[in-house]
Parts: sequence; C-alpha cells; structure tokens
Amino acid sequence: MTRIHLQDVSVAFPIFGAYGTSLKHTLTASVTGGRIGRDSGVTIIQALQDVSLDIREGDRVGIVGHNGSGKTTLLRTMKGVYPPQGGRCEVTGRIASLVEPVQGMEPEATGWENIALRGVLTGMAQSEMQRLTPEIAEFSGLGDYLAMPVRTYSTGMLMRLAFSIATSIRSDILLMDEWLSVGDADFKERAEIRLREVVEQSGILVLASHSAELIARECNRVVQLEHGRVIRDATLDRPEPVAG
Amino acid sequence: MQSSTSFNQAWQEWWQGTCNVRAWWTLARYDIVLRYRRSILGPLWLTISMGAMLLGIGPLYTELFGASKTEFFPHLALGIIFWQYIAGTINDGCTTFSNAANHIKQGDNPLAVFGWRVWARNLIQFAHHIVLIVPLAIWTGLRPAPANLLFFGGFAILLVNLLAATFSLGIVCARFRDVPQVVSSLMQFLMFVTPVFWLPDRLPPTAQAILLNPFAILLDVVRGPLLDKPPAAWAWWAMLGWTLTNLLVAAGLFVRKRSQIVYWL
Repeated sequence: MTRIHLQDVSVAFPIFGAYGTSLKHTLTASVTGGRIGRDSGVTIIQALQDVSLDIREGDRVGIVGHNGSGKTTLLRTMKGVYPPQGGRCEVTGRIASLVEPVQGMEPEATGWENIALRGVLTGMAQSEMQRLTPEIAEFSGLGDYLAMPVRTYSTGMLMRLAFSIATSIRSDILLMDEWLSVGDADFKERAEIRLREVVEQSGILVLASHSAELIARECNRVVQLEHGRVIRDATLDRPEPVAG
Repeated sequence: MQSSTSFNQAWQEWWQGTCNVRAWWTLARYDIVLRYRRSILGPLWLTISMGAMLLGIGPLYTELFGASKTEFFPHLALGIIFWQYIAGTINDGCTTFSNAANHIKQGDNPLAVFGWRVWARNLIQFAHHIVLIVPLAIWTGLRPAPANLLFFGGFAILLVNLLAATFSLGIVCARFRDVPQVVSSLMQFLMFVTPVFWLPDRLPPTAQAILLNPFAILLDVVRGPLLDKPPAAWAWWAMLGWTLTNLLVAAGLFVRKRSQIVYWL
C-alpha cells in the first residue's frame, strides 16, 4: 500500500558561518571551557516543525506557502534526503522526484551518459534501462545533442533531459516542486501529456506550488505551511481558491 | 539497547550502499573517464605521467644516494607509486561527501555509495600506475619471489585502511572545512618522514623511531613483499592494530554522524 506517514517531523539546518565550520574555533571553544565562542556563528534554521501528515493512496496533495516556508524541505524529507531530527517519516512505495532534477547531472558527461548514470543511480535494472533509454532519448527530443556534454546545454534543454529521465519510470509516488516551467511550446505540450499520465499512474502526488489555480486543478487536498508548520490541511472537494 | 539499534541501522545503511556496486563503480569510472574526456590518450596519461616522473627521479636519486640500481630504483619507484595512491586517496577522501552534494541531495542512494566511489576511483588510478612494475622489473632485474605472495595480505590491509580513511575524513571534512588543508599539509610532511625516497637501513640509529610512523609500516607491508624483503612480524601486528583503530574510528563517526552529513552540505 502506498503511503507517506509523517509523525511530528522536525527538520533543522545548522548554518555555519566561516566561523562555525572552522576547526580552530571549535577547538578554542573547547579549551576555553566551551563558553567563549560556543555556537558562535551557528544559526539554526527550523525548516520543519512538528509536521504530521498521513498521505494515502489517491491523495493529490498540494503544498502551499511562502518562499522559505519549508515546501522543498518537506518534499526532500519525504524523499529521504533529510533524516528528521525529531519525529518519524515512513514512506511505502517507489518515489519519483522532480525536485531540482537538473542537479543530479554530470556536466562533463554527454546526454546519453547522463541517462545511463541517472538510471544506475535511481536503481533501474539493466533490462529496464535498455528498454527505457531510446524512449527517454526520443521523448527529450534532443536528437544529436545527446552526444554532447550536458554543460553545453541551455537551461531548457537540461530541464527537458532531466524531466524525460525522471518521468520515464513507473512510480507509486510523484514528488514535484512546481509544475514544469521550462521548455518551448512544443515540448511543453508533450510534457503536459506525459505528466498527466504519470500523475494518473501514481498513487500519490505531492506538488509544491505557488499557483493556486494549479493546486485547485490538480489536487484534492491542500496543505499550507508557514515557518515550517502546517497551518492548514484541508480536503478539496471541488476547485476552490487557495491562498498561495 | 538504544545504541545497538542505531548501530544496526547504520550497518544496514552502509551495507545497502556497499552492495550497490553498480552505482559506485559507475560513478568512479565516470570520474576518471570524464576527467580525460578531451584528451586523446585518456587515462593512459596517468601511466605516462607516472612513468615520466620515475624516469626523471629514479636514475638521479640512485646516483645521488650512491645506491645500486637493482636495490634502490625499485624501492624508490614502488615507494612513489604507493605513496601517490595512499596520499591521493587520503586527500581525495576529504571531499567524499562535500563533492557529492548534488547527488546526495537527490536522495536516491545511501551515503556509503559515495565513500566507495572515492575509494574505487583512486583504486582505478592506482591500477594505471602499478602496471609500470612490469617495465621496472625488466629494467632493474627484479625477479618474482615467493615473498611476493605476502603482497596480497599487505594490499588487503591497505585497501581496508584507505576505505576507512575515506569515510572518516569525508565526514570530518564535510563539517570542518579547513581540515582538508590540514590533511594535505600533514601528508606533505609525512612524505618526507616515510621511507618513500630513502632506504630505511641508511637511517642513523638515533632516528630509527620515525620508522614507527604508521605510514612507514603501511608502505613496508605492501612494498616489502614485492622487493622480496618480507616485513617483520611486528609490522604485521602493528598494522593489524592500526587497521582496527581506523575501522573503529570510521564506524564510530558513521554511526553517530551519518544522519547529520546532509545538513552540512
């Protein structure tokens, strides 16, 4: 059964200034009894605080909130990137993530190589990769550019490739940070269709967005974050305006 | 109870990453291939540049030290090759996690994959260097001997130590960003107090103590067997203790700090 279960999840980032990451200062702090300079330069950012969510099969969850309210961090926590400092996060099901998918690319490697690399890193089987690679290549529409290092790609091309790879695998859960926003008209249209397919296949969709219209169109549940806390968790029976 | 469960969890995470050989081997291979992507000879340059260095330094130092070619040149050449491997892995290990931030934040793989990746890419580099032992043996008249078999034991020890170092340093350096500088300075210093360039039996009795540095012993257990100079029994025992210490430190850091690493990147 596909499910995302968060129980009182807290995630906090220590932000070290040049001061905090320096060993000398930590040592100085320890020999001075830990009083002078202790914690100096270390700011703690509470990105998520006591977040409890139970997301089940069929849920299309829209995450809304201001910049820095914890939307992306929440998605990454679900993906397992950030082990919560407090609470529990349990996920059942294969996850496909469209959270900064371009980041996982190797700039010097070609498009083909990046397809292979992402395939290996996301745990695709050899047979699966053989089957999917031509499909990914075709869908990206990059043609001969796939033989070029991806550092030569434009932002739009990179996004096309990353999107094609990330949406090629069947998954139970789809995590998205904003709807697809890059790409020319032609690609956008095809991407919309593909995305719709993937969303329909997925048992769970979690979509972080600033667009109230989009959330109303795609989601049946909305979670609003503010300063890392859930301040609203409501079911959307029919489209209704959402505070973004 | 508490600590044993967290140990088990850490072990499981580590083992899961370790078993994903395809992921870390592919990453390591790409690291090497991509670095030499636009050169015609590719990774063969690793072999060529090492060969050039040995050719330059070997005959000169043999003359300078007034040593015989048969005795000194293989000692020096293997010393440089192994030292480059050891110091290279240790310096590279400092950026194990900080340089993999983009992959780690995708959340697809356990952290251990990135430790093994650094270990593997340095092993690949070493493989490109050690092939020079063949022309070296032919030129200097180094012949196979039964003691050579001990090399496999010594090399296994070296591999384990380098793996432990990759994880330990990767963790510490992700948190403290000036440790890589400390490490590289330290390795420079250690290169001179370890018998890489000189013969340990030329050392005056008063200075014998520097042969107790763990890097000298480590070098001895891999190089000695190849030169038909089997290391003393105490060297093996010392190395065993050193290896266990290294493993304990790495395991301790991994168990206690692994869930914080991503927050430091």
